[in-house]
Order: sequence, then structure tokens, then C-alpha cells
Amino acid sequence: MIPLLILSPLILLAALGAVWMARPVHAALLLALSLALNAVLYLVMGADFIGLVQFMVYVGAVAVLIVFSLLITRPGDEAEELRRRPGALLPGVACTLPVLAMVLFTVSKTAILETGNAPSISMESLGKTLFTSHAPAVLALAVLLTAVMIGAALLARGAHASGLPRSASCETKTADETGSEPPIS
Amino acid sequence: MKLPGMGLLEGLAVTGRNMIGSFYKKERMTTVQYPEERAPISPNFRNFPFLVYDGDPKTGLRCTACAICEKECPPQCIYIVLERDENGKSLKRPKVFDIDLSVCMNCGICAEVCPFDSIYMDGEYELSTDDRFGGLLFGLDRLSKSAEYHMKLRPEQASAVMARRKADEEKKAAAAAAKLAKARADAEAKKAAGQEKGGEA
Amino acid sequence: MLPLAASDASLFSPEFLPRLPQRLVEMILTNLGAAESLVSIAGFLAAAGTVLAVFLSAFALLSLIERKILARAQNRIGPNRAGWFGILQPVADGIKMLTKEDIVPAKAERLLHLLAPILIVLPSILALGVIPYGREWTPLPLELGLLFFFAVGSMTELAIFIAGWASGSKFPMLGAMRAISQMVSYELPLMICALGVIMVSGTLSLPRIVECQGGFHLGFIPAWNLFTPWGLVAGLLFYICSIAEANRCPFDLPEGESEIVAGHMTEYSGFKYALFFMGEYLGLFAISGLGITLFLGGWQAPLPGLDFVPSWIWFFGKLALVIFSFLWIRATYPRVRIDQLMRFAWLCMIPMSLLTLPAAAIWHFTGRGALSWVVTVPLLAVPWIITAMIFNRRLSPATRHYHFAE
Repeated sequence: MIPLLILSPLILLAALGAVWMARPVHAALLLALSLALNAVLYLVMGADFIGLVQFMVYVGAVAVLIVFSLLITRPGDEAEELRRRPGALLPGVACTLPVLAMVLFTVSKTAILETGNAPSISMESLGKTLFTSHAPAVLALAVLLTAVMIGAALLARGAHASGLPRSASCETKTADETGSEPPIS
Repeated sequence: MKLPGMGLLEGLAVTGRNMIGSFYKKERMTTVQYPEERAPISPNFRNFPFLVYDGDPKTGLRCTACAICEKECPPQCIYIVLERDENGKSLKRPKVFDIDLSVCMNCGICAEVCPFDSIYMDGEYELSTDDRFGGLLFGLDRLSKSAEYHMKLRPEQASAVMARRKADEEKKAAAAAAKLAKARADAEAKKAAGQEKGGEA
Repeated sequence: MLPLAASDASLFSPEFLPRLPQRLVEMILTNLGAAESLVSIAGFLAAAGTVLAVFLSAFALLSLIERKILARAQNRIGPNRAGWFGILQPVADGIKMLTKEDIVPAKAERLLHLLAPILIVLPSILALGVIPYGREWTPLPLELGLLFFFAVGSMTELAIFIAGWASGSKFPMLGAMRAISQMVSYELPLMICALGVIMVSGTLSLPRIVECQGGFHLGFIPAWNLFTPWGLVAGLLFYICSIAEANRCPFDLPEGESEIVAGHMTEYSGFKYALFFMGEYLGLFAISGLGITLFLGGWQAPLPGLDFVPSWIWFFGKLALVIFSFLWIRATYPRVRIDQLMRFAWLCMIPMSLLTLPAAAIWHFTGRGALSWVVTVPLLAVPWIITAMIFNRRLSPATRHYHFAE
């Protein structure tokens, strides 16, 4: 109970900061912090595998992806400060309150397990369950990831072929062209 | 056909040979461990001027304080005061000869223009001092070095200079001897002519 | 006078030497009547202290040995002025780093600037805890040790980004971008190669992976994962990826001095720079230790009769050899460019590492004997040769066309 009481406010604060921070990089780093604290929560609850995978995937890949996209598409310094629009408060509250109500309702209907009674799941049984009864989901995920990779490669290639100026010195010559003229005239 | 990746292994072999060979092969390890060892300086290396004396530092000094080097020095780092006796006649010796190390740019022009073979470029480079003003002003006592030192430092140049000076001296001695012989011959001829005249009258 | 229990007869044997501090602390506290939890916490702190002491002194020694070996490879003497053969050079370096002024640029974010070095050292130290150093000596024998290693390793990339961004100037940003792209690209083949080992050993726990590599084929060839067809390829790829992960030459573009000053470490001075330095070297130890655990048999002896030598001596001997090879490679090869680096990772390493997975599976299911070798070697060798040929043709220099000089 105590770890939950300590961690939950921290996670909430980090998530709030991720939404409210003026500069995008601060928001991204606070998001990474809230995800890392989530991983700590999983570890404390005894779900070792999920906790470590959460750390590896979310903090190590998703957060890095976010900061990488921030690095590459550097907004100008004057655009660093996100402009806050006061009129957006009403739709935000309208969306948040029902979700919050649903979450509280579900939590109140669930029995609280005292710590120490978490069922210990071995890696083998986890793997077997994942690849036998949940195999369609895994396969669908694989297809999705392959499509994503192919799409990204195509997009990058398209940008290279049309937008960027190509310097002729980078091209590889075919056999009949090499040796026909000296490199420097 | 060279297998791909062979170049990588050849590179590793080169550095591997260095790693092992640098321990026992003298020609690989070219490090000179200063200050225990010193790297040899080349014959044309020049750093700072010095004055040459033959024999005695006070009387054998070749410099006659003509101040040509003072006039020709580009950064004007030489300061010469001529020594005069009580009557104001020049003694052809410098009383003060100062070169400022912080100004001297080691160009060697003073050595090129000296007509008396008295100033040459030294090869000493360990001249650091912690006294920024007095320690960098070199006077006559620090600048005077013997002709033997010059010979040891630059054997070719020094032997050429000594040979030229000896040839000059011999020529001068020969000219003086010739003049003396001519004067004696003239005096003899005059005495013989005077005797004849006195005998006739 | 401390009473020794019967089971403590082996306390002072060489095999159990690394455990000595922990056992002594536990014994002293138990004899003083302390509570069980206090004893275990104190014992754990002693174990962590041992690991830290060993690896921090190894880091100091490595910084000197690296300079000496690089110097010898370049036909010169390394540092030899500070103490006999330069042995006090790390002390001099430490004093220099600690007495330097801590300069933080005006445009930098002070909190993040301070946080980044700490976040870089933290994963390296954590990762050092799960590696089995000897038969009885794993500081953190986790069931999911390998996953823990990769999870904390992924924190390094975020820390490098924080370091680069918080400095507030161009070179660190560029360096951070390059460092992150390099580390992310090379982490994929790293994990895929480790996946092959996990498949064959059937466990994520590092001590058990080492135990699976015990025994000898044909009486004298050790059953290490390196001496299997897929293990050879996976081990070589793991080796190259660990050089890239540790940002070492020839993959040290993020911190090459002639390229980008010091990359993400440019605006750091004094103790923070020392922390970066330490994090890099400790990360090097950690990833070499992992490579040795996965492919070189960890603390297993190489020949059947050499079991009397304590197991941790074998581990540290292998670690010394691997680190020496890293230094040798650093002395020899030029730096690769960022596009060459990325091309190499995505076009050559990932396909080859993906191939080791079916190779490992086939090797396992055809009985792990001579037949497995016959079947697996062509599966790996043919794509390797094809990839090498493609790369050779693509990289051969082309006739340059100058637009304005003609």
C-alpha cells in the first residue's frame, strides 16, 4: 500500500507536468519520468517482466522517439513556448470527467489485493500463453510493424529522391562510363 | 582475390607489430625523454646571437662596437655603447652590449652583416627565466663565448671563418713585410745615393 | 574472537575471495545480535561496495593502461612521469578533474545539466550488478537478469539526450543526435544476438546461461556459445555492437575531438566530465562482461584440467583480453562517418543478426552435433558473402564529376 501511496502522486504530478509544461522538451522528459515511475510501480507490485519491458520499451524507445522527433524537427526558438488557449479548457474538462468517472467506478468495484499475494508467473508460462492463445494478436502486431517499417523506408526514400539536391559525385558509375573522362579537367 | 576484411586484419598486424616492436627495437621508439635526454640540433639551427672572443673575454673580443648590427636589427633589440678613453678617442671595444631576448626574433641579420666575424647565432634554447625584465636582457658577460665554443657548435662555419681570418692575417703580414722590405730598400738606395753625392763633393 | 561455523571453513579459500567482505559483514553483525533484515541489508551493501571498489579501481587502471597501450601501438611511450611507469597518472587525472572550475553555460538548463551525468553513470553501475563474476558471485542473481541489463541500458540514450539538450549549444545537440541515432541503431542487433543465446539456453538468468556453457566437446573444446556456428556470427556481431554502444573508436563519432569537439560532453568540465568518462568506461566493462557471459562462457575455464584456478580469475582474464582487443581496435582503425555507420547497422548487421535466430533454432533441433554444423554454416555463410560482395561493390570509389571545374 505504501509504495502505491508514494508513487501515485508522483506519477500524477509528472503526467500533469507533461501536459502543462510550456516547452516541448520539458514535457517530453516529464512524460518519460511518469512512464519510468509506472515501471517502478509494476516492479513493486511483483510484475518483473512487465516492469522491465515497460522501462525498455517506453522509456528506452518511445521517449527516445519523441525526443528524437523534437531534435530533428527543431521548432524555432520563438515557437518553443506552447501557446495556451483559455477556450480549450471546457472541451478538455468535458472529455476528462466521464473517463475519470468510469475509472473510479471500476476501481471501486474491484477488490484490493494485499501486497505479497501477487501470483508469481514464470517466464515460460507467460511466453507459452502469449504465443499460443494470443498468437493472432502477436501476428497482427508483427504485420503492423512490418508495414510501418516499409512505409517509413518508402517515405524516406521518397523524400530523398524528390526533395534533396543530389550531388553527382555520390553516384556510382556504371562500367561503360568509368574512365571516359579524367576526374579533374 | 583479396578477401573482404583482410585489410582490417592487416591493419591490426601493423599496430600489433608496433606494440611489440617498440619495446626492443630502437629505431621504432623515437621518443626523446626530455629533460633527461636532448634531441640533437641541426647545424643550421639558430636561436639567439652570441659574441665571439679569441682567447681572453676582455681583450680578445672581436667586436669593435661599429654598431652595424644595431642599425640593421629589424626589431631594434641591440643596444651598444662604445668605450672611449679620457680623451674621447674610441677604443674599438663595446662598453655596453645588450640584446633583449623578448624582442629578438632570431632572424640572424646581425650575424650576416657583421664585418668583423664577431656575432653569430647560438643554438641554445633553454633560456626560460621567471624574471620578465632583467632575466631577458643579456649583457656582455652573458653574450661573450669563446671561439672554441663556436667551433664546437658550428664546425663548418667556424672553421671557414678561422681559415679566412688566418688567410687575411697572412696577407696583411705579407703586405706589411713587403712594405717594410720596400722601405728598407728605399732607405738603402737613399743612403747609397747620399754616400755617392758626399763622396763627389 | 569470532566463532567460526563449520560451513565457514571455505570462507577464506580463493574461490570465495570476492564474497569475503559480504560474508564478514554478515558474520560480524549476526554475532553482534543484529536483526535479520539489517544483516541482509548490510550484507548487500558490502557486496555492492565490493563491486564498486573493484570496478572503480579497474576504471582508474584502465584509463592509464589504455594510454600506455595506445602509445605503444603508435611507437611512443605513454605517460611515465607521474610515479613509476606512470602508475600515479590516474591520481593526477582525478585531482585535475576535481579541482577544475565547474562552468555551466548561461543558456543551459542548470537542473538538467546537473542531472545528465548522474543519469549516465547510473545505468552502467546498475548493469554491473547482474553479471556473474564467479561460480558463487553474482551480486544480483535476478531471474530476468538479461532483461534488466537491457532495460537499464536503454536509459543511457535518454541521458545522452538530456546532456546534449541541456547544454544549450549547437555542438552538444548535434553530438547528442548522432549519439542517440548510433546507440539506437546498434542496440537492435545487440538484442537480437542476445536473443539467440536466450533461445538456446532457455532462460533469461545470466548465472544459468553461464552454467549452460559448461562441459567440453571432444574432450578439450569448451562448450562456449562462441564455438557454435550461430554463436560465431552472433558473437562477432555482438562484439561490433558493443564497440558502437560504448561509443568507442571506430564508432566514436559522437565524441570525436576533430569532428565535434566532445559532442554531448562539450559543455561539461571538472567532476561532471569525470562522471561522463567514468560512465563510458563502466559501460564498457558492463557490456564486455555481458558479451563474455553470453558467448565466452563467463567464468568457465577453457581447458578441462584448469578447474583449480578460481572462476573469477577466468572471468577477469577474459575481460582483460576483450578490453585489450578493444584498445587494439581503437589504435588501428579510423573513425566511420555517420552515414557509413547507419548504413552498416541497418543494411548489414540487422539482417545478419536476424539470420542467427533461425540458425540457432536449426542448430538446436538438429541435435547440436556435426549435422547441425553442416546444415547451419551454409545458412549463415552464403548471406554473409553476398552482403560483403554488395557492400564492396557499393563502396568502391566512383569517378568524381566536378560541375564547376570543367
